[in-house]
Amino acid sequence: MSHMPRRFFSGRFFSATVQREAFGVLALIGLTLFILGPISSVFLWAFAIKWRYPSLVPTEWGLKYWGETLARADILQALPLSFGLSIIVTLLSALICLPAAYAFARLNFRFRQPLLLSFLITNAFPRFGLYVSIAIVFFRLGLVGTIPGVILIQIVNTLLLMIWIPTSAFQSVDRALEEAALDVGASRLRVFWQITLPMVLPALAAALLLTFVSTFYESQGALLIGVPNVRTMPVLMYQYINNQIIVQYGAVISLILWLPSIVLLAFAQRFLRGNAVAAGFGV
Amino acid sequence: MNIQRKRFDFSALAGYVLVTPPLLIMIFLIFLPALQALVRTLWVVPPAGTGASLSLVHYTTFFDDPIARANLWFTGWITLTTVVLLFLVCFPLALYLRFSNSRIAAAVQILVLFPLFVPSIILAFALIRFLGPRGTVQTMLELIGITGYKTPYLRASGIIIGLVWDSIPFTVLVLTAGLRGVDNPLLESARDVGANSWQVFWRIVLPLIQRPLLIAFCLNVIGIFGAFTIPYLLGPAQPQMMGVFMLQTYSEYLDKLGAETQAVITFLFCAVVGALYVRTIAKQGVR
Repeated sequence: MSHMPRRFFSGRFFSATVQREAFGVLALIGLTLFILGPISSVFLWAFAIKWRYPSLVPTEWGLKYWGETLARADILQALPLSFGLSIIVTLLSALICLPAAYAFARLNFRFRQPLLLSFLITNAFPRFGLYVSIAIVFFRLGLVGTIPGVILIQIVNTLLLMIWIPTSAFQSVDRALEEAALDVGASRLRVFWQITLPMVLPALAAALLLTFVSTFYESQGALLIGVPNVRTMPVLMYQYINNQIIVQYGAVISLILWLPSIVLLAFAQRFLRGNAVAAGFGV
Repeated sequence: MNIQRKRFDFSALAGYVLVTPPLLIMIFLIFLPALQALVRTLWVVPPAGTGASLSLVHYTTFFDDPIARANLWFTGWITLTTVVLLFLVCFPLALYLRFSNSRIAAAVQILVLFPLFVPSIILAFALIRFLGPRGTVQTMLELIGITGYKTPYLRASGIIIGLVWDSIPFTVLVLTAGLRGVDNPLLESARDVGANSWQVFWRIVLPLIQRPLLIAFCLNVIGIFGAFTIPYLLGPAQPQMMGVFMLQTYSEYLDKLGAETQAVITFLFCAVVGALYVRTIAKQGVR
């Protein structure tokens, strides 16, 4: 590592460029093996009927286990539950956080900055320890094993994202444009609907989508609070991995679980460029 | 003048009203549970008599237990190793991505960000199939005649591999964002006055990206120290990381106070790093 920077900063010379790109090729090979290697086995297993060791690929291919997995009662129950929960959590979070984000960006009040910063606390707590202490409170309130309990614990996770990304979006809207519209006689509401909202819409969509996906995959709070009555897809996945009944079930569930993420991936390019994700971490 | 003042008051009031709901959620679902855990583990009711008193008995029980101590030590060790490895992997990648515009760099960027879209549970499942006993790696090694493969599955190395995989995108994202803030002209002028690459790196680049560096460090430490899914699914039965230990204490031993004590201990360990994180961002200021 010690000699690395020297190469990078002498980009003016051809040989340095060659060396830099040689590093790039090595990184590409290494990352392909390390990042894509493990993922490839999920795909292979999902379409395998038989895979006997020591064969490198499945010995018999087919969709047999897709039908079997999708017919399982626990999955048929968990799939709509997971989608429903994630939609409810995302909408509730938006309802709670978006007006606050607007206030943080646009209104002037004392302690605005410390209050906005206080949401970073959600990042500064070790997650699982926090969930355990919430679970103990919920236990006394009778919220363990209930859907409202799971919704509440999952909302905690969404606050920072749903406040910081929209706040920075509202701040970046050009105030002059709004004032011009006000000057020519548009009402405040109309200015908000026709000027402010369209400009922040991409960032809001990013925040909603990120919240939905991260809630869909949230497993720790759901595991602590939901069990035994409320089993979301990720919680079910814990069981399938630990009990290892049939490998293909886990692989098929993995691919199904992935769907929301692939939608996210499709939109990702847009908002990764806008640094929206980094804003969610407070960068 | 009058109207101005009225509007200002209204705006401030509206501000407080609008930010109250998320603040209430934070108070009731983060501050109060954490505070309650602290109070309940310190304010001890003796089993026989009445009259609770301030006592460290839950904490001395924790630190007297060799298993609990081993788990805490294990968690710290895994956290440190993973963070060091992460920076060793991510820093060169971030530097490369900052200074190269080639197609290779674009491909590297896609691969680096890919784990962002893979939930930890799928990753755990994938790593078990890939690195586990009779998995892809073992099969491949045996095909080329290498036997005696020791799987990292259910070992500390399994946890570390999983956590590094999971944390690469965030770390590279933050470091690259920091490096983009370093101007090319600045680097060129430093070189023009005779600084070598090493000096440019230590004296100019590193001080300029101190903040992103700190943010990446703090969030990784907190995330890894409090990790659950990866150590639960890929780690050994003993020693355990604190997250796994807490779940076991809470739901298998049904020892709520024990689990709460463990939670408070993880809070305290992360509090220093968490404070550093909040301070770093507070210092750079929110627009």
